[in-house]
Amino acid sequence: MSEPATMSDASEPAEVLESDLVRRARNGDLSAYDELVRRYQERIYATIYHMTANHEDANDLAQDAFIKAYSALKSFKGGSTFYTWLYRIAVNKTINFLKQRKNKHHLSLNDLDFNAENDPDLVALISHKTPHRDASLSELQKKLNEALLKLSEPHRMVVVLHDVQGQSHDEIAEIMGCNIGTVRSRLFYARQQLQGYLAEYMKPA
Amino acid sequence: MKESEHNFEDLKQLLKLKRCEIPPPGYFNNFSSQVISGIREERAGGAVGRLNSEAPWLTRFLGIFETRPGLVGGLATSLVLLLVFGVVLADHSDSDTQNMFSTDASAQVSAPLASAAISGVGTPDLAGVSADSGGIAISTNPVTSLQPAASLFGQANPLFQTASFAPAH
Repeated sequence: MSEPATMSDASEPAEVLESDLVRRARNGDLSAYDELVRRYQERIYATIYHMTANHEDANDLAQDAFIKAYSALKSFKGGSTFYTWLYRIAVNKTINFLKQRKNKHHLSLNDLDFNAENDPDLVALISHKTPHRDASLSELQKKLNEALLKLSEPHRMVVVLHDVQGQSHDEIAEIMGCNIGTVRSRLFYARQQLQGYLAEYMKPA
Repeated sequence: MKESEHNFEDLKQLLKLKRCEIPPPGYFNNFSSQVISGIREERAGGAVGRLNSEAPWLTRFLGIFETRPGLVGGLATSLVLLLVFGVVLADHSDSDTQNMFSTDASAQVSAPLASAAISGVGTPDLAGVSADSGGIAISTNPVTSLQPAASLFGQANPLFQTASFAPAH
């Protein structure tokens, strides 16, 4: 999870193998599907986690997304990559979940292995770019998650997919089922909102 | 928008903090196996789900036993008693049937019929058949109690009556 993963990471042989795995999984081969799960579990989990800010919810939703994808595998026509199709299922599931959970924000970040203290870039970011130099990383992380949760689900999703996960605009548009212009405008608006929420933690322009 | 994007550099740096949030160590070791278990459970649960939708009464009925375990014992006892009663009754009826076949009257009826069947000539002597039975062996079987229009050997059956809706004279 340290490096954002994109669809372009997949090499040509791996793509062929993926289609083979999908074909076998569609025929009921659970070992093939197990391989597909292993391949995408971290990225799917991370996206859901950054949307929910809760490990337990992310765990349940990620598992549900993979299980639903398996049961819906017959309907996968191959118009997009399996990865994009799987991502779309996970994103829709997460957005539906968040709509139901509205106004019940609960953070459970203590159970995460928060190892940013050892990241020199982030330490430098805190000590040089924030006026609150005494703010700890955990406090900043908490504020960051709170700010993200203030965004609407589609805006938060765009920020998570682009700025955290490193997905391209094209990929996000395909995953979210909208055009690139919408992705760009949502991203711009979401960043503006976040900048306002986190103004005290950033260096004044 | 490019100028605005440039202004978001600090925010983008800050958002990199999110990448450091990772699940507990070893979390992904069992993740895929949990997913596969979930798929297997869903397959098994699919049959139960179909039963729930097609026969909800059965589900409710079985649910009663879950809430009242004493009923299971009561029902099991009742079934066992019913089974024992059925076995005893079957034994009793078998002995009754054997007694019926061993009576003198039945022996008198069966003997001439058997001899006539063997000889195959002439009409059987039905005199031996008890008069009150109307020439037909006593039976509780409704099929054999029906009165045929003619006997097996071409003689008119005196007990046969043609059904008619005309008023009787």
